Amino acid sequence: MSGVRLDAIVKTFGKTEAVRGVSLDIADGEFVVFVGPSGCGKTTTLNIIAGLESPTSGQVYIGADRVTDWEPRDRNLGMVFQSLALFPHVTVFDNIAFPLRIKRMRAAAVAERVRAVAATVKVSHLLDKKPGTLSGGEAQRVALARTIVVQPAVFLMDEPLSSLDAKLRVEMRTELKRLHASLGATFIYVTHDQAEAMTMADRIVVMHLGQVQQVGAPLAVYGDPANRFVAGFFGVPAMNFIDGELRGDGDALVFESPAVRLELKGGEPLAARPVTLGVRPEHVRLTRDASGGRATVSLLEPLGDETLVFLEYGGAGSLVAKVDAEEALAVGDRRGFTFRRDRIVFFDTETGERILRS
Amino acid sequence: MTPRRHLFTVFRHTVLLLWTLVVLFPIGWMVMTSFKDSGDWVSWPARWVPFVDFEPTLLNYRQIFYFGGSTDTGALRREQTEQAYNIWKAAFDSVVIVTVSSVVSLLLGSTLAYAISRFRTGGKNYPYTILTIRMLPPIVVAIPMLIYFASLPEAFTWLVGRRVEFFDTYYGLTLLYIVTTLPYVIWMMLAFIDEVPRELEHAARLMGASRLTTIRKVVFPLVASGMAVTLLFVFILNWSEFLLALTLSQPKVLTLPVLLNKFQSAVEGRLYGPQAAIGTVVTIPVVVLGFLIQKHLVKGFSFGMIRR
Repeated sequence: MSGVRLDAIVKTFGKTEAVRGVSLDIADGEFVVFVGPSGCGKTTTLNIIAGLESPTSGQVYIGADRVTDWEPRDRNLGMVFQSLALFPHVTVFDNIAFPLRIKRMRAAAVAERVRAVAATVKVSHLLDKKPGTLSGGEAQRVALARTIVVQPAVFLMDEPLSSLDAKLRVEMRTELKRLHASLGATFIYVTHDQAEAMTMADRIVVMHLGQVQQVGAPLAVYGDPANRFVAGFFGVPAMNFIDGELRGDGDALVFESPAVRLELKGGEPLAARPVTLGVRPEHVRLTRDASGGRATVSLLEPLGDETLVFLEYGGAGSLVAKVDAEEALAVGDRRGFTFRRDRIVFFDTETGERILRS
Repeated sequence: MTPRRHLFTVFRHTVLLLWTLVVLFPIGWMVMTSFKDSGDWVSWPARWVPFVDFEPTLLNYRQIFYFGGSTDTGALRREQTEQAYNIWKAAFDSVVIVTVSSVVSLLLGSTLAYAISRFRTGGKNYPYTILTIRMLPPIVVAIPMLIYFASLPEAFTWLVGRRVEFFDTYYGLTLLYIVTTLPYVIWMMLAFIDEVPRELEHAARLMGASRLTTIRKVVFPLVASGMAVTLLFVFILNWSEFLLALTLSQPKVLTLPVLLNKFQSAVEGRLYGPQAAIGTVVTIPVVVLGFLIQKHLVKGFSFGMIRR
């Protein structure tokens, strides 16, 4: 069992910088999820940890060893690939047995281990089949079995669930989390799906443009985003952003935009500066009076338990609110709206960085 | 099936059947000639129907498969000409040279193709550079090669103090066959190896396999069909190669295609019967291999797990 440490990893392909200085400490036994849009460098980072790519500069440590120049096979890692990478020419049994045979384990011991692992991931009945005949979920389990069978200290997973249908994906999430708990190994998981990241991770590493944007527990990343990118990446529907101006006269902070004016308590004197206000749909409240602002309901999307309300509020685009499904609303209704003050966040409009972070 | 489509099918089959006849006619004629006695080879009008027009005989085959120097039966008296009818020596030479050169070429070319596919060895245009080698007509190569074959022994004497002959030797021709077929192998195997997903190799390497083990246990098994097709293709090329064998390796090392063209005698003219018999015998391995290829071609790839 061992943790993983990345020290100022840089990777360039020709002129493109895929990874631009990633440093990270992953604790032993942690479930860390790298998340970001495609091309953000998360898979490259994973491949560097695996040793399939070597970093242009920077160091990789696994446990106490500096493994930057080590062959993949010497790193004691297990990896599940996006395509699963099952060997199509041999049976499920031979697939799972492959790493054991490479290690020259005796045939009897191999059979025993393969059967034991197949039982834990419930693929015992598939051992004689070829991978091509398996369903998506079955293939997924076989790939897991093949990785687990050598008991690696660190598991790397590169979007392993992306080929499954939605329902199966949700089931596998739970199962992976359970597997992580029972194995106690370090899991490093790459995905572009923010829901996967939120549900499984102990810690989320948000990447964008080759750089780490934020590292933190799922709820911390969701509720306390470091910048506008992170704020926009998590949450469905996305956070509402309103461009405006913020100034403070010592007694109160005032946010002012053509459509919305907000007064917030306290704060130091602050010269007027352009900012972007961010508020999640669930923190937008509809009111009878017009204390915050007034808006017209332009579209309703019922989700069952809640309803998404798209509001024309006089600013650019629509303001999305998530309200209780019981609320009686119709397109064309005029309503007032307010924001939950303690959940409002501000970003520097130019840099996108969070400001006034408490 | 509509009548129109039915009619089209009939038409298509008729055309294909006729074409098959055109293609098979020379082969059929060769096989028939191999069973004819000398009087029937070139008689006019042609003798078509066995047992009616002519009496089939195994004489030609007995001659080409005959062991020993002189004849003791009257039926084999034609042996007494200067010609070497016997194919055993040439068959042995051909089998050894062609098998060794084809197998070596396949293994060498497959690993080279792997390097080009995975490491971009030689740059983006390298495969095309290799291909241009094949654009040279063999005749352009044959004479310069002869000069090299003649001068290399001297070079060896000068460099390592030991004379190494190339002309008219087994390894001389084998080497040449390896070199001339390598471009084909590289090109064919490159296409097959490019199809193998890299993630499979990554997976194998993470599970502890070295590069070589990965190639042996994952890549080559996956392209086994392709390797079989390539091997047989190269085998046929080498099996029927004539020009280089003629210029660079006889009389001591003699391959079947060269032997086949030696069948003339001042006394009897062209010996069509034994020649046809040899032609028939030489064709048999190619036909057998052809059927093997067919199986592999049909089987093709079964990369069940690839999602594209």
